[in-house]
Amino acid sequence: MRIRTLGRLAALGWVGAATLMAQGYPLPSGSISIKFPDDSPVLFSGSLTDQSRATARGAAMAIDLRLSMLLRNVSGSRQIHGVTLRVVSQEVAVGGKGSVTYPSLHVGPGESFPVRLEMQLMRPTQTVNGPLVEVNLDGVLFGDLTFYGPNRLNSKRTMTAEELEARRDREYFKRALAQNGVAGLQSAVLESLVRQSERPRLDALVIRGGPSVAASANPAQENTANFAFVRFPDSPVAPISGSARISGNEASAPRVQVRNNSGKTVKYFELGWLVSDPSGQQYLAASLPASDAGLMLRPAGTAQVMQDTALRFTRNGQPVRVQGMTGFVSQVEFENGEMWIPSRQTLESAALLRLLAPSAEEQRLSDLYRRNGMNALLEDLKRY
Amino acid sequence: MKHPELATLALHAGGDLGPLARWRARRHLAKCETCRAEIAGFDAARGILPELSAIPEVPWNRLAAEMKANIRLGLAAGECVRVEDGPRLGAPLFAWTRAAAALASVVVLVAAGFVLERPAPRMDTAGFQGVELQSTANGIQVREGGGALGLLHNGAEARDVNYTPGAQGSMRAQNVDSETGYVTVTNVYAN
Repeated sequence: MRIRTLGRLAALGWVGAATLMAQGYPLPSGSISIKFPDDSPVLFSGSLTDQSRATARGAAMAIDLRLSMLLRNVSGSRQIHGVTLRVVSQEVAVGGKGSVTYPSLHVGPGESFPVRLEMQLMRPTQTVNGPLVEVNLDGVLFGDLTFYGPNRLNSKRTMTAEELEARRDREYFKRALAQNGVAGLQSAVLESLVRQSERPRLDALVIRGGPSVAASANPAQENTANFAFVRFPDSPVAPISGSARISGNEASAPRVQVRNNSGKTVKYFELGWLVSDPSGQQYLAASLPASDAGLMLRPAGTAQVMQDTALRFTRNGQPVRVQGMTGFVSQVEFENGEMWIPSRQTLESAALLRLLAPSAEEQRLSDLYRRNGMNALLEDLKRY
Repeated sequence: MKHPELATLALHAGGDLGPLARWRARRHLAKCETCRAEIAGFDAARGILPELSAIPEVPWNRLAAEMKANIRLGLAAGECVRVEDGPRLGAPLFAWTRAAAALASVVVLVAAGFVLERPAPRMDTAGFQGVELQSTANGIQVREGGGALGLLHNGAEARDVNYTPGAQGSMRAQNVDSETGYVTVTNVYAN
């Protein structure tokens, strides 16, 4: 009798627990809204969200969204080299949004390619009104560097810069093959893989708004530090001076003044921001883009970058004290849409290549070699 | 003129509205030909319902009687086999096994509740009033107030993902998708 009662109660307990655990449930259809313009050069088909789920977390709700779909090039005769999708969930974070870009593509007319989107949302309430996430097309970059799309995330500039980097680094590997054969290519790829694995990295927390940016946590330790600059001879824009507030492992409110040394009007530029720890080890801290959306920097004119954000650095969970800062110009866009990026030789001679993340194309090609071997890499380099 | 909901008209036709709603519906019907027509339609539909119960192929009444008889039979059979094991004189109301079992059940429920109610480790959202962007164990995220949006790169080795913060308030991650072989660049933005 006692055993039977015990068994019944245990079963009851497990049923209760199982019921509670089963609060995760599939999302209803319509949770993800995918909208492409009617005249879009890419069409989506076969979207799949069957693994998406919502789970109650107290009063809040955690949502895992998984979207798989095929994108098809219906542009007619142009080859697609990049696609950016805009991901917005207004109810989750006011103004918070994301994007997913597929650079280094070579998708011919009529061809399709698969894309995957995995998102996690935390909503403060469990009320659901309308789609949880909207996925829109922000832009498509073609092989001739023409662009289609609403460009709300400046994906034209971003994808053009990525495409220029892709061509630069693809050419580097092709040259290694042409000059020194397969052994030369292998040496170049292995060197790239080693550099990627040994690249010094920091974890960064970017804070915008809130008390951390308005005032340092410990004003007594805060000081204003000046930037040192790496100047490239062929850069259209040159940094003049700059500073940021530093407090322990936090750097905030960077300001950099630049001068247009080219003969053309510049409408956008971006700097790379390096920080060094007390041992002198340098890390890529962040990109530092121009802050003026309507910038028109005439030849010989000057402009200032100002960003009211704070960056907090850690490594393996431990704070990394910021000892020094270095800046360099990493990207320039002219009024006519042309762009400048530093050459590979320039980055290498300035000892920056070992600190920067690889371009999308360098990462793709080296990953192809690592996973599929030399023949797959050779085949890829021959194709384009 | 604003018309009542169709559901309201249907309830009115069946005499199921409350006093206030019924008064408002009558007031509207007195001056609305369209809604009166709707009511007439509902009345006509109700008129054919009794005919449905008399469909010759489905002997509803006989089926109902059989179901009731089966239920009674089940209850009677349960009475016959029921063991009289009520509380015996001298037996403790709370035997230690029952108490232990009850305690174990409570522990299981509390543990399950804790598991479900705990903050999601990857989506920490408490105690901050600005916007924060950072890399996480399997992606990047932006969080503001009680909400967070994360873009994930599940399946990628941590060393194969390259993160670049943007000083304007963004976080970028670049990796090769192990399933598709394409480079995927995700970004989250503060505004």
